[in-house]
Order: sequence, then C-alpha cells, then structure tokens
Amino acid sequence: MTREETIICVGCPLGCEIKLILSDRDEEIDVSGNKCKEGKQYALEEFSNPVRTLTATVLTKDSSQPLLPVRTSKPILKTLLRQGMSIIAETTVKPPIKMDDVIVPNLLDTGVDVIATSDLRS
Amino acid sequence: MSQLETEVLIIGGGVAGASIARELSKYKVDATLVEKGNDFGQGITKYSSTIMCQGANVLEFRAEYHNSRLVWAGMPLMEPLCKELNIPFKRIGSLELIKNQAGMRHPEKMMRRFSEWNDKYLPEAKPLQLIDRETLLSWEPNISKDVIGGVYDPNIAINDPVRLTIALAENAKQNGINVISETEVVGISCGTEKFKVQTNDGIVKCRFIVNAAGEYVSKIAKMVNADDFVLYPVKAYQGVLDKKLGGLINHMVLSTEHGMVTPTIHGNLFFGISPRTQRLGRIHDHSTDKKLADTALRHAQELVPDISARDIINSFVGFIVYRNFEVGWHECTVEISRWVPRFINASIGFPGICAAPAAAKEVVELLVKEGLKLEENPNFNPYRKAMPIFSELSDEEKRKLIAKDPRYGHVVCRCETVTEGEIVEAIKNGARTLDGIKFRCRPGMGRCQAGFCGPRVTKILARELGIPEEQVTKKGGRSRHLLYRSKELLEE
Amino acid sequence: MKLQDVDVAVIGAGPAGMAAAIKAKEAGAKNVVIMERAEQLGGLLHQCIHNGFGLLYFKEDLTGPEYAHRFIEKVMDTGIEPLLETMVIRISNDRAVSAVSKAVGYINFKPRSIVLAMGCRERTRGALNIPGSRPAGILTAGTAQRFVNVEGFIPGKKIVILGSGDIGMIMARRLTLEGAKVEAVVEILPYVGGLIRNEVQCVHDFHIPMYLKHTVAQIHGEERVEAVTMAQVDDNNCPIAGTERKIECDTLLLSVGLIPENELSLMAGVKLDPITGGAIVDETRQTSVVGIFAGGNVLHVHDLVDNVSSESELAGQSAASFAKEEKPLERGKIALKRGRNIRYVVPHTISGQKDVTLYMRVNHPEETVRIKVGDVMTKALRVVKPSEMLKIDLSTEELKRLGKETKQIIVDCEKREGR
Repeated sequence: MTREETIICVGCPLGCEIKLILSDRDEEIDVSGNKCKEGKQYALEEFSNPVRTLTATVLTKDSSQPLLPVRTSKPILKTLLRQGMSIIAETTVKPPIKMDDVIVPNLLDTGVDVIATSDLRS
Repeated sequence: MSQLETEVLIIGGGVAGASIARELSKYKVDATLVEKGNDFGQGITKYSSTIMCQGANVLEFRAEYHNSRLVWAGMPLMEPLCKELNIPFKRIGSLELIKNQAGMRHPEKMMRRFSEWNDKYLPEAKPLQLIDRETLLSWEPNISKDVIGGVYDPNIAINDPVRLTIALAENAKQNGINVISETEVVGISCGTEKFKVQTNDGIVKCRFIVNAAGEYVSKIAKMVNADDFVLYPVKAYQGVLDKKLGGLINHMVLSTEHGMVTPTIHGNLFFGISPRTQRLGRIHDHSTDKKLADTALRHAQELVPDISARDIINSFVGFIVYRNFEVGWHECTVEISRWVPRFINASIGFPGICAAPAAAKEVVELLVKEGLKLEENPNFNPYRKAMPIFSELSDEEKRKLIAKDPRYGHVVCRCETVTEGEIVEAIKNGARTLDGIKFRCRPGMGRCQAGFCGPRVTKILARELGIPEEQVTKKGGRSRHLLYRSKELLEE
Repeated sequence: MKLQDVDVAVIGAGPAGMAAAIKAKEAGAKNVVIMERAEQLGGLLHQCIHNGFGLLYFKEDLTGPEYAHRFIEKVMDTGIEPLLETMVIRISNDRAVSAVSKAVGYINFKPRSIVLAMGCRERTRGALNIPGSRPAGILTAGTAQRFVNVEGFIPGKKIVILGSGDIGMIMARRLTLEGAKVEAVVEILPYVGGLIRNEVQCVHDFHIPMYLKHTVAQIHGEERVEAVTMAQVDDNNCPIAGTERKIECDTLLLSVGLIPENELSLMAGVKLDPITGGAIVDETRQTSVVGIFAGGNVLHVHDLVDNVSSESELAGQSAASFAKEEKPLERGKIALKRGRNIRYVVPHTISGQKDVTLYMRVNHPEETVRIKVGDVMTKALRVVKPSEMLKIDLSTEELKRLGKETKQIIVDCEKREGR
C-alpha cells in the first residue's frame, strides 16, 4: 500500500509543494513537485526527521527580569515540541545565570539540552 | 461607600456635571458628584470635536432656543475658565467655505443671523466677515480650490474637552465637593423631603438631584418618572489625523454639506461629518461602520484634499444628543422637572462644551429656586495647579524639572514625548486606567497608539496603584488588557 | 562622558545602531556615542526569542538575544559610550542634538556626524480604521511579543491574528506553545506576507487555519474583545457581503505592516522616500542632510537582521569618514529608477565607481524572472515575492559598462524563458 505525503519546501521563496509517494515501509517511491534537487533532499529529510529548534521562556524567581529566554541547543523532533513546553513550563530559575548555561539537561531523552540564550541577573 | 447623606447629588461626570460641581463649589454646599465610569468626560464629552462656537454656522440654531442663550452666555466665560484651570485654549477662527452661488444662501443666512444676534446676545463677539476667494486661498492655501469665497468667524476657539472636564472635577474636589467615580446610579425613590438613590456601591440620600447623565439622561429621568422628553442619539463619525498634517490648515474649515476639518489643540487635524450625514443610532452603540467611515473621509477631502486614509491614526463614533426633531435639534433640557420637585435635568445639548459654564450657573439658580440655601465659600480657589507638560517646556524649564524629579527625564510615550513624571502626576490626580492616563497626558494618542508605551504605562500604573500588572485595565470594569500570566494556560 | 567632541552620534542601539557604532569605531572615529531610549542595548532583539538570526552574518542559527549579545559584547569591547534611557527629542538640520534622560537631565550637543538607526513602529488598528467597538484586547503583534516574551503575560487564550507578516506568524506559534488557541490568521492579500519558513513552521505545523483574501470586517465586545467578523474581500480589498463569518475570540493581534520611525529625521529636514518611508540615500547611506546617515529599518523595512547589520556598517563607516574629513563624501550621481514590478531600490543613487549592493523589493509575486539593472547586469531568479527582500551585488567591473554620462539606471523585473 502506498501513501502520499505533502511537504512544503522552505529552501527558497518558491515554497514548492513536494509530493512524496512512499511504500508501506516508508521507502521513497516517487518525489514530485520540486523545482530543484535541493528541494527533493529537503523533502526526504523533513519527512523522515522533521526537526525544529524549540525556543521559549522560563519563569524566574528573585530577579527583576520576569522571564529567561531559552532554546534547545540543537533542533529536536517537532512532535516533541508540546511536551518539551510542558517541561519548560514546570521549570523556574534563579540568578545568576549566564548565556549558554544548561537549564534542562537532555530534554525528553533527546540528548539535547535546553540552554539560556541570555544572562539572568538579580 | 454603602451609605452617604448629601444635599445635592449630581449624576454624571461629563462636562455638564463637572461644570455644575465646580460652580457649586463656590458655595458652602454639601454636594456629591457620582460618575459611573472610572474617569471623567468619558461619555459624550469625549466625542466633542473640541470647538467653542457661537452657533451662527449651525443650521438649526434659533435665537429663541434655550440652548442658544446658554451657548452665548458661555462663550465669554470659557477663556477665563480655561486660564484658571490651566487648560489649553486657542482662538483659531473658522472659515465656512462657499463652493458656488447656490451655496451662498447659507452663509448669507449666517451673516444675517449673526448681525441680528450681535447687539442683543453677543455684544463681546467680533463680527463675521465675508472673504473673497483670493483672500481665502491666501489664508488657507491647502483647502479645496473649488471655492468662491468664505465666511470668517474670528470667535471660534478650540480646547481639550476631556482635560477641561477632568480639571473641573479636580477643582471642584479641591474646593470641597465630594467627587466619586465608578459609581453608577441604578434606582431612585422619591421621599417627601429626600431622594433615596441606589447605586452599585451603596445608597445616597439627598435633597436635590441634578441629572447630568449625558447619554443616559433619559434613563435616569425614567427612574423617577420624570422623562417627559425624548432624547435622540445621533451618530457622529470623527477621525484624528497624524500630527504631520497639523500645519495644513490654521483655521477650522467647514461647510454645511461636508462637515468640518479642524486643527486640534494638540497639533493633530480632526475631522467630523456634517449634521446632514449624521444618523440615528442606539444609546451606547459607539461602533463605527465602513460606509460611514468612507463617507466621512470623502467629505473631509472635499474641504482639505490632501487628507488621505493613510493619515488617520484613530477614528470613533461619538454621539450628539438631540432633544427631538420637531422642536429643534439643539434644544437642550436644562430645567426643573415638571413632575418631580428638586429634580433638575441638565442635558446641555449641542454645542455643549461652550454652553457648559453658563448651564452650570443656570442649574445653580434653579437649585436655589427649588429651595437650596447658598452661602459663599470663602476658601474657594478657582485656580488649579497645572501638571507640567514636558513637551511644551523650554530647554531651561526641562532641565530644572528633571533636576527636581528625575522621573521627568524618563520619556515613556515616544510619540508625544510624555515622561514618567507626568504619568505619575496623572495617577496622583486620579487616573487609574490606561485610558485615564491617555486622556490626562496623551500616551496612547500618538501615531503608535500605545504600541510602545502600553507595556511601560501598565508597569507604572501597577507600581503606583500597588496592583499586579494583569489587573490594569483599559477603561475599568472588565477591560483588562492582559488575561493570563506566562505558563498559566499550560497548567490546565 | 565628553559630549563636546563627539565624532559620531548613533541614535538607537538596536542591531542597526550597534553595527553602525562598532564600524564607526573600527573605521577610526575616536569618540562614538550611542543613544538608546530603553534600559539596555539590543533594541527589539531581546523580545525576539525565536531563532533564525545570524544565518548570513555569522553562518549560525541564533536567537534574537544571542545575536544581540554578540554585538553588545563588541560595543563594550570597543570603548563606545552607550547613553541608555536617553531619548533624543530633537535634531536640527545642522546636527544639533537635544536629548533627555534621568541620569544626565537635558542635554544639547553637536556631533560631527549622526547615524539614524531608530528602527520602525507597527501599523495600528486606528490606522486601519477597522469598524466596530473599542474594547481591550486589541494589540499589535510586536507589543504582544513584548508582553509574552519579556513582561511575562499572555494577552488572552483565543486569538485571531490579522495579517500574515512575520511577526504575526511567529506570535501564532509562540502563543500556541504557551497554551493559547490561535483560531485564525487572516490575510487580505492573496499571498502570505512573511517568509515561507515561518508559514510552515509557525502556522502549518500547528494546524492553524490561514485565510488568504480575507479581512476582519468588524470587532465585537464592549470592554474586552468577544469576537471578530471575518469576510472575504474582492479585488479592491473590500469585504464581500454574504461571506461574513463570526469568530469567537478574546484577543485580536495585528500584524499589518511596519513603518520606519522618521519623526526625528523630518525635524532635521531629511528628505524621505514615500515608498520606503525612509530617507533618500546614496550608496554611503548619506541622507539629503550633510553629515546625517541612516541604516536599518529606519531606512527601509528589512526581513533579515543580518542585512540590517551589514547596511548599518556602511552608514557607520561613512559617518566616521565624514567626521574625519568634515566634508561631504562623494555623492552618488547616478539615480536608480524603479522599473517594471520594482517597488523600491535602496540606495537611491550610486557613484558607479565602486562595488555596491542594491536592496530592493518587488510589488507583486512572480515566477521565472530576471532582475535587470540597466545595462550593468542581470540576475535570473526562480521566484520573487514582496515579502522577501532582494540583494543584488554590482561589481566595479560590471559598473564599468555604464557610459560616462549616465545619469540614471532603470531597474526592472522582467519575465524570462526557462526555469
């Protein structure tokens, strides 16, 4: 049984809608709709491993700054974003914190840390 | 509040109620003003187009109208009043544009009426002048070239009606009147000697009631079955244009067909539709609609062609409350109720701002007629200390002010150059909401419409009032700006 | 702090101002002052907690605060004096600057050169003239971003976003991740206003309905927003009767355009281009007023902060040169004219004597086109969109093709054959 997936390529402003036809074991049967070969590459990668950088804020305590901005140090699977947010929402941080400090290590067992993207002072 | 006893209760803190309160404060009277909103001048007053006029240009003005007499009596009182209260006032004059010979009829009527009224009712007013096309265009090069002449009324002036109202309320309070906001009258029962007034915050017992409730004058009168008049709310679409257009015209420019475009006291341009285009509305429905908006803009462009939709920074629908179509559009209702003793209706009609000082004096006379005893207040101070307006100070004055209070060095509203010092002062004087700050010292009235200053004004309000930021409202009640704290929605 | 002897005064310490100030110092200006009305350097980057910054400039994928940090460090390292919480309230056309701050009170000084880097503000509801009531709960997307990412508040839990600009789409994602429900993104044009990347990663990823060729025709609610009426629009952008749909919500976010903040520029007599909303400049970023330069969003609204930095470095360098020589730099003599489907080109004039980068935008989307810069060069492109700024580099070699008497070059966007 084959199935179809549509991926919008973000490589250039064209935004080609690339149609993937896959086997029941998710093997590539056909790729169409891309106007360049980078698009095909992107579509296959995006299908098999759709990752996103999660950026968010963390509540603070004992600081005049109400929030600390954070990010995942590397992109993680996009299906984990909401769960990742729940973990971040349960976290509170206190100063002093420096940019790049690890706030939540190994988020959801991905091997990726959530790190501070700015300092936090009192 | 729960229980309050007072001699005179003034219902409504618009320009009418506030003027009456201030007038009463000249005497030793136990008077209370209640306003249902959380700040003053937020009803019809807010939508006044800032003009002081004596009505010669207004179609339906008649010498026999009560309203006309109040306007004429009020005109000479306004400038000294503004000076006492430290409110800006500027006499700019108006130009009624005449497009063609047929269009001459109205201006001819205007001038005839004015000369009739001049000796009898308007002795201090300067006469109207007929201006030819050349002179008109030399005075106002940016108006429509499709004119054959105009009528110049040198008496027309502009001010800031909401600031005036707030100043009147403050001065009244300063002189001993009990001024309360966020108090809405929900029911009145009449006793033999006293009224029992039910509010959302307790009961007020009083001997006299002055019904100055603007849009709600009928509603209040109905509570005592004194509503033997009907008031018609008419939608008046108005718009504020960017300050960069401010220099386009120097006078107020009008025509009976196309309404008015005028400079405001703050340097913006303001336009409003003519009474001919106004439509009957429903009380409290201030919603705008596209058709009205498009018509209004088109009409304004007939007067000043360089106005474009891009320059509109804000627009709204105000109300003009007319007495009834048969008697006359402007007839006001300032009278002792025929049905209920010691109950005085004070709906001052249109134009209202310039009538207010005279209406206030008349209301006091009516109260005396109904039995109010007056004794002069020896401590009456007509002067209200002005809030410094940073953007209008000289360099040296700015330096001195910042040295005295560094908060005047922190500019919060970037569009209008309003400092933290002024905002804190406004809060001390009674502002408790974002709109309250807006109307007292301008943050939120500029071209970014509170985009930048909003978060900062919210912070200052929260700090000065000792409330959490999320409880700061736009205009009181349930108009909170921020509904949730970060992460609160994820807790569910 | 010596304000007596300032070589370059930079107004604004966002990415534009910081880049200009750093470059001015590197180019030899001794006394460089940067004036910022907020409490810290970095401008709006602090509230842009998302990533996508620095892909060109640093070849890294950074968040706004991280991008800002790199420049802030450099500002501090190069000995530039930041005057924070200082608001410039007046510039004269002979470069007299008046500014106000808590710390220094009211100051007046005359730097040898000025770089305008004030950025831009957002278009508002008042300017849009949306019919309806005036409740709380209507915010521009940028103001909402400040509340959500810096102050710690979520404006509401049922959101409608008007406009598919980048800020709107980014806030769609942000608010969804914070637990709110974004009911719709409503766009009046038939195409999305921001980058494709944002369309996919902020709207489609979260299954947020997007309606093109629609607008918000009415706002409902007295004290707080209760609903909006959405309607389809015709080719004149007017709502089509009968297509109205009421969407219940408690918040309306507006992402409908950015306007360069040129109030100070106007005071100084700087001539503005009505299309960009920013100053008319030559390739050194010199404005019509000698000694006043401009760069970044105050000059024209950029999509990528990387380009803001590069452009502002030009302005900073030119300001430093001017401060040293105290005479006008060689003004561009060749005017760049907008041709077919070109909305604007910055700079407005070039000298034709050295390498220059042209920044431009098209009026409407087109595929399979070629940008033609007079007889100088052409560049084939697969697609052009108004939301994606184009950068065309002209080399000195290519510019040699111009005739000696050339007074203007027309920049066109032409259709071509092929892919």
